[in-house]
Amino acid sequence: MSPDVPGWAGVAASVALVVLAAAITWRERLGVTRELLVAALRAFVQLVAVGAVLSFLFAEAGLLGALAWLAAMVAVASVEAARRARGLPGALRTAATGIGVGTATTLGILVVLQVVDTEPRVLVPVGGMVVSGAMQVAALVLRGLRTTATTRRPAVEARLSLGLSAGDAFAPYVHETVRTALIPAIDTTKVVGLISLPGAMTGLILAGVDPLTAIRYQIVVMYMLLAAAAVTGLVTARVASRALFDDAQRLRAVPVP
Amino acid sequence: MPDLFTLDAVTLDVAGRRVLDGVTDHLHEGRCTAIVGPSGSGKSTLLRLLNRLAEPTAGRVLLRGTPLPALDVTELRRRVGLVAQAPTLLTTRVAEELRVGRPDLDDAAARTLLARVALPVDLLDRGTEGLSGGEAQRLCLARALAVGPEVLLLDEPTSALDAVSADAVDAVIRDLLAEGLSVVLVSHDLDRAAGVADDVLVLRSGRLVGRGEIDDVDLDRVAFGDAEPDR
Repeated sequence: MSPDVPGWAGVAASVALVVLAAAITWRERLGVTRELLVAALRAFVQLVAVGAVLSFLFAEAGLLGALAWLAAMVAVASVEAARRARGLPGALRTAATGIGVGTATTLGILVVLQVVDTEPRVLVPVGGMVVSGAMQVAALVLRGLRTTATTRRPAVEARLSLGLSAGDAFAPYVHETVRTALIPAIDTTKVVGLISLPGAMTGLILAGVDPLTAIRYQIVVMYMLLAAAAVTGLVTARVASRALFDDAQRLRAVPVP
Repeated sequence: MPDLFTLDAVTLDVAGRRVLDGVTDHLHEGRCTAIVGPSGSGKSTLLRLLNRLAEPTAGRVLLRGTPLPALDVTELRRRVGLVAQAPTLLTTRVAEELRVGRPDLDDAAARTLLARVALPVDLLDRGTEGLSGGEAQRLCLARALAVGPEVLLLDEPTSALDAVSADAVDAVIRDLLAEGLSVVLVSHDLDRAAGVADDVLVLRSGRLVGRGEIDDVDLDRVAFGDAEPDR
């Protein structure tokens, strides 16, 4: 099947749209013409570069290359998620563990159940969606726990003072934080197809696949994002909670954001 | 018999600031010891050392001759209960509140606890949202007692309360002392501390500047800030 996508001539013709947008901003003196043109050029360069890298990856790199690419995505996502929780002890290690385990578990199950192929052409884009979903949940959990560790300190210490272990003393707040972090993923799953046509499905339809076939992929994607969110949320919260207490079951000092 | 608590040259630094500076003392069994001093003198920190919510930078704290780190920390905290300054309720029901540290507490025992802190026993079936500050503080006290501690640490137990509620809490503390419990309380209010305490430690800028039986310490001198090391 040859996907029904524009040729380079079509891409060149679509520059007319950039010209139209630039003409409007210039004529109305909106002061963003230059920025708009730079953005259009950047999009072109970035996408050509990514296309070239992925093309090479799919053709030459094999399974190991795909896994290396996934690992790099997990690393970038971990840095990004940890950045949202500065001051939380071990935030980067925690984010990396949560996102790594969430991604590996979800992709592992899909591969073992033979739902997806182990070809780089499949693993890289599907893995990218999983890592991105996991990153959002990890960031929400880390931020939530950092807030809890500052605002709920008196309550946590009251529990510790009653002889509860650190795990038991912190458990109610961990549950609350993970529940809150999972809400966006659950809500997105609820309204999928009604409010937005998601990316994987849109792409397949544009490439000429029958919509009833395209939705099968999207259903798998939604389910996999739910699993990635749940596993990442739980693992991130567990690892973060452990890092928040010292050997004598004391809540460590966390700077107020 | 060893002392209840032994403080052996206890020093504690927080973020480069010396909060406690070489405090050495003995706290006695079955008595109420008041730790007094101006705010920022290290009183609450000293209290938190006794159940290991804080750890000394140097020196040791011993419970009946055993260094605290040699004890299981959750076991230590069950033996040495702490009630914080501001009442922090953890649940929405009075009955649940009493069971946070003691999940198997039955209703009869829960009612006995309420009576022990001079709260009406029919409060057991109520929610915690309508409680006054004084009632909430006494509920926190009952919650700590539910675990069965040998020692109670009280951080300014009456400072957030009006005079009537404060008197009620003081009366409860005197009853607990009469039952044989040991109490260590922190206070900036010398007159109120004098109403319940047997012994007093005076802290200033993290240093122990006075100690003795409450009747022997010149409270006016302490209050006016010219207490000297009592050696």
